Amino acid sequence: MSECKRDYGDFIVLMGLAGFTLWYLLDAIRVSATPQNLLLILPLAVIVLAIIALELILRIKHGSLFRSSEEEPLHKTLPVVGLFAVYVLSLEAIGFDIATVAFLALFLILKGERNWLLVGGYSVAFGLSVAFFFSQMLPYPMTLLLLPS
Amino acid sequence: MIDFGAVGQSFDLLFSNFGPWLVVVPGIVLGLIFGATPGLQISMAMAIFLPMTMYMDFIQAMLFLTAIFTGGSFGAGIPAILMNIPGTSSAIATAFDGYPMARKGQHNQALGVALASSVIGALMGYVVLFFMIQPLSYMVLRLGPAEMFVVILWGMTLIASLKGEQVLKGLIAGFVGLLVGTIGFSEIGLARGTMGQTYLLDGVPVIPAMMGMFAASELFKLANKGFIVESADARKVKVSEIFEGCRMAMRYPVVMIRGGLIGVLVGAVPGVGSSVSNLLSYIETKRRDRDPDSFGKGNPKGVVASEAANSSSEGGSMATLLALGIPGGGATAVMLAAFAMHNITGGPQFIRQQTDVVYAIIFANFAQVFLLVIIGLLFIPLLANIVKVPMRYLIPSVLVLAVMGSFGLTGNMTGPATVLVFAVIGWIFRHYGYSVPAAVIGMLLGSLAEKSLLHSYQISGGDITYVFERPVTLAIFALLLISLFSQPVMKRLKARQEAAQL
Repeated sequence: MSECKRDYGDFIVLMGLAGFTLWYLLDAIRVSATPQNLLLILPLAVIVLAIIALELILRIKHGSLFRSSEEEPLHKTLPVVGLFAVYVLSLEAIGFDIATVAFLALFLILKGERNWLLVGGYSVAFGLSVAFFFSQMLPYPMTLLLLPS
Repeated sequence: MIDFGAVGQSFDLLFSNFGPWLVVVPGIVLGLIFGATPGLQISMAMAIFLPMTMYMDFIQAMLFLTAIFTGGSFGAGIPAILMNIPGTSSAIATAFDGYPMARKGQHNQALGVALASSVIGALMGYVVLFFMIQPLSYMVLRLGPAEMFVVILWGMTLIASLKGEQVLKGLIAGFVGLLVGTIGFSEIGLARGTMGQTYLLDGVPVIPAMMGMFAASELFKLANKGFIVESADARKVKVSEIFEGCRMAMRYPVVMIRGGLIGVLVGAVPGVGSSVSNLLSYIETKRRDRDPDSFGKGNPKGVVASEAANSSSEGGSMATLLALGIPGGGATAVMLAAFAMHNITGGPQFIRQQTDVVYAIIFANFAQVFLLVIIGLLFIPLLANIVKVPMRYLIPSVLVLAVMGSFGLTGNMTGPATVLVFAVIGWIFRHYGYSVPAAVIGMLLGSLAEKSLLHSYQISGGDITYVFERPVTLAIFALLLISLFSQPVMKRLKARQEAAQL
């Protein structure tokens, strides 16, 4: 039955890499078409596109163009990736300290921790100490809401 | 080759008072902590503590910085083994077999193997530095940009073909990585692929990208697991097993010596260093082994090869720094800054005029290596407890450290944003079998490859026949082709032999 299951993800990734390579090559040509500018980029891009074409031909030949990966399905990990993205994007808006505490707490809840004392205690203790350590160690200003900057 | 008068004077410099030694233990401990924490770099530790060296004399400053370097080189292997997250790019290959060993419950042995290999590797690096500092620096000077470019391509091909079954995907990942590495201002002042974003003018921030692709993407993959090591028995930290690991490493003297020599030679090449030496040593060991298929599945020889090479690279990069005044990587770049702070310029003149200082640095590093054994053994049980932490606590904590560390590297949100973008790319790459190490090494070497090629073009005036006048370039290119085609040819021959036997 698994043979009937088609996974377009691998094909999309391959096309995405080909797309990036082509876009980057065209952008480099747009900036300057001199040999000095394209010395590495042009041959390398051509090689990448040729290898991608070869990979596609081999897959079509073996009938495995849309084969499914043996790894755990991507959607199972998607909530974690989404939470991490929200964390990174919220750092400046709500401060490194609050964002870190919230990320830790939400991650623990998402992964099944139901001891609320541990959720709160660990997130606050670890989150605030890490934010404080880095804010003191780094020579750059960090956006902080609770801790002294 | 050895100035014995200077040897005597160097002992005076080191042992006339305890001053220089006071900073060694704190330096090693700092290196271990920064190296073992994913997201914190050895060069970052050295940069953060660089201002302190202003209050030290030159020897003390060098001892402090090299102690951080020594501790960090081993420290980086600890998360590589326990979490499959190399603390720095120099421990990438350590994770290939160290982590599978940990997954099999052999994390104590793997750490012991790494410690013994690191110690012996670092010792080898400095012994070679002592005897070879002058000839080595001469050899490095002979490498022109054409050779450098072919070395990079060769390294890339070797790394990309590590995953034997998916060579094409490995090559795609590696070469796309090289392209990404050229984003931003080129050597001739043209900005490519920046999409109008000013933060990309200096290129993609490589270390945050590396943290995203290695650390975060691997953590995403582990998000649905309970522990790094599922069996409760296997999670126990036993010092006796760490010692057993140390003894295990001694069973592979050839792997260790070969790794050490590769480390010194590659470490001496500016810009390449330990990031590539550990991979080359690993690949070479795998290639020469009778059972190459056992690599990547927990073969201790893989850990020995990687750790011996990355630790001995320190000696090699110090050779380039001392003899030529050229830093081999981030860590030696910080040391170069320390040179400037003490009004010292590295180079042949420095070696000739201050040979006693050079020898003092080398001898002090011999002692540091032995101190690393003691401090490492004390710290490993503490750091190895990490396998006892449930993944739901470990994953967000390490992600937070990576994000904070990346912010520390760039000083703005570019670092964390880069971690996020490359974490997602790395996660997708891992899922579909693209080589993440090849992509990362490509990004690290992209601009260097372009610079080398451009310099060759300028020297030759665009005449392709210039390559045929450079036998070393041709020889390395031949090696590249052999490494690319030998694997499938050998496989085909083996399959044919097996079919004939049936």
